[in-house]
Amino acid sequence: MDYDAVVIGAGLGGLSCAANLARSGFRTLVLENTGQVGGCCSSYDHQGYRFDIGASVVELAWVIDELFRRLGRRTEDYIDFVPVDPIYGFVTADGRRFSYPVSVEETRQVIARFSEEDARSWERFAAVGSEAINFAFGKVMTESMGSLKDMMRVAAANPKLAKYLKYMVLNFESVLCKFFKSDTVRASMSLQSYFIGLPPALCPGYVAFLAYSEHEGIFYPRGGMIAIPQGIASAFREFGGEIRFNSRVVKVLTEGKRVRGVELADGTSIEANIVVSNVNAKVLYLELVGEERLPAWAKRAIRSYKVSIPAPMIMLGLDSRPDLDAHHTFCYATLEEMNRIWFEDYLNNRVPDGGFMLISWPTHADPSLAPEGHHCLNLVSFAPYHLAEGDWDSYKERYLETMLGLLERNFGLRLRDHIQVAKVNTPKDFERMLLHPEGAVYGLQNDITCTAAFRPGVRSRVFQGLYLTGASTHLGGGIAPTVGSGIVASEFILRDFG
Amino acid sequence: MDGKLVKRLFKVGALAGLVALYFSLDESTRRYLVHIGKQVPYLPYRYFI
Repeated sequence: MDYDAVVIGAGLGGLSCAANLARSGFRTLVLENTGQVGGCCSSYDHQGYRFDIGASVVELAWVIDELFRRLGRRTEDYIDFVPVDPIYGFVTADGRRFSYPVSVEETRQVIARFSEEDARSWERFAAVGSEAINFAFGKVMTESMGSLKDMMRVAAANPKLAKYLKYMVLNFESVLCKFFKSDTVRASMSLQSYFIGLPPALCPGYVAFLAYSEHEGIFYPRGGMIAIPQGIASAFREFGGEIRFNSRVVKVLTEGKRVRGVELADGTSIEANIVVSNVNAKVLYLELVGEERLPAWAKRAIRSYKVSIPAPMIMLGLDSRPDLDAHHTFCYATLEEMNRIWFEDYLNNRVPDGGFMLISWPTHADPSLAPEGHHCLNLVSFAPYHLAEGDWDSYKERYLETMLGLLERNFGLRLRDHIQVAKVNTPKDFERMLLHPEGAVYGLQNDITCTAAFRPGVRSRVFQGLYLTGASTHLGGGIAPTVGSGIVASEFILRDFG
Repeated sequence: MDGKLVKRLFKVGALAGLVALYFSLDESTRRYLVHIGKQVPYLPYRYFI
């Protein structure tokens, strides 16, 4: 065998798994399609500015600490995290502005300006959220949840999970409405449903507590989001691991029900008893393994998943400080509008011409990402992959104009006079760059019926020696769940082959 | 009443109860449950992949 383990993709899940394996003495090779690490958690340099590709901040950072602890290292020796405070600035359609600081008490004071009753509810919401994150949902990030047995084991170890089962039956919208009465407060917490790629009406209720989890502390890595995978890659290399860039895997080689390596686009075969895939599970099973090699039930299973929503992103280099108040600014919409965007625009292949936008301002936390006095902004919204008219390649310029116009018209934010550099990454670009089918940023749709034991397993049940990491397995997309998937995959491998 | 009839009445009663419960929910929750319900047939397959 050429290597003990081959990892397809240098995203966070793949690198986390690879580092753990290399530390345990496995000869491990990571094959990356692009020229850099990180996948969706990465950055690139363009005309003097450093832009993040996808992820824009880290929450539940303890999962990264846990990874480095398992590697016998300390996070701070590899990644320099800058605390982000306030968490969000908000801009409403009628021009109002306010911010939520990290402090729960200071946020209560902000909410009290809109509703005293909601301020009291915020205290209850934060108490429930704190317990749910610290003693229930947060705990499962680094635990296998791939079978009912696993889920029962985790539940037995975290009895408080049972208390929160109702938030799995209720939807996101109902949970927010149960706690808060003011439309302004509800709207300020409505964005989190789209963080797992679903509108408030279809998103599981427990996701609503993400609005609290950010108050446990959020961070930005100095040097851009790519600093996180670079830190993990450094540790991986210290253990003798190898990363090959611009190496595209086109086939996972199998023999009966076992994997035996991978084949690259240039025809090279690399043999290994362990293959870890950090690519989307649909791409893995239907293309790299090959549909013809799957049993009928597995074909039906993998075809039943829908890929998650894409998030076109506009990257702007500005020659002055933008008129914003926080690392993240949410140009917000009401819960009803957030649902309308999904049911009327997204499902009908229309780019929303109203609605909401998330503005990320990385130079607020790390000014070194742009020339002195200049700033970087990322404008993120959600839009369909298939367009009712035309395609993304021809729509790119119009999309930029539409979104800049939306900011000016609806939220009074005029940016175009200061734009030095503008770049649009469409769902098509994400598909080409990162091999995300239909530009899906969160892997697969993250319904309650597509998570934990019902998401493609970290340890494949179809082929021995095949393991999955990343957004389309374990608990879904996001930095903590994907790093967690890498930890879980490496634990399985150490158990199976160690 | 024979056993079969009792069973049938129980099933009809349970179904009627579920329908009544469904219509007592707000529109948002109903939409959520329908969305989830549509995926239930796939769960046995998804569990094993």
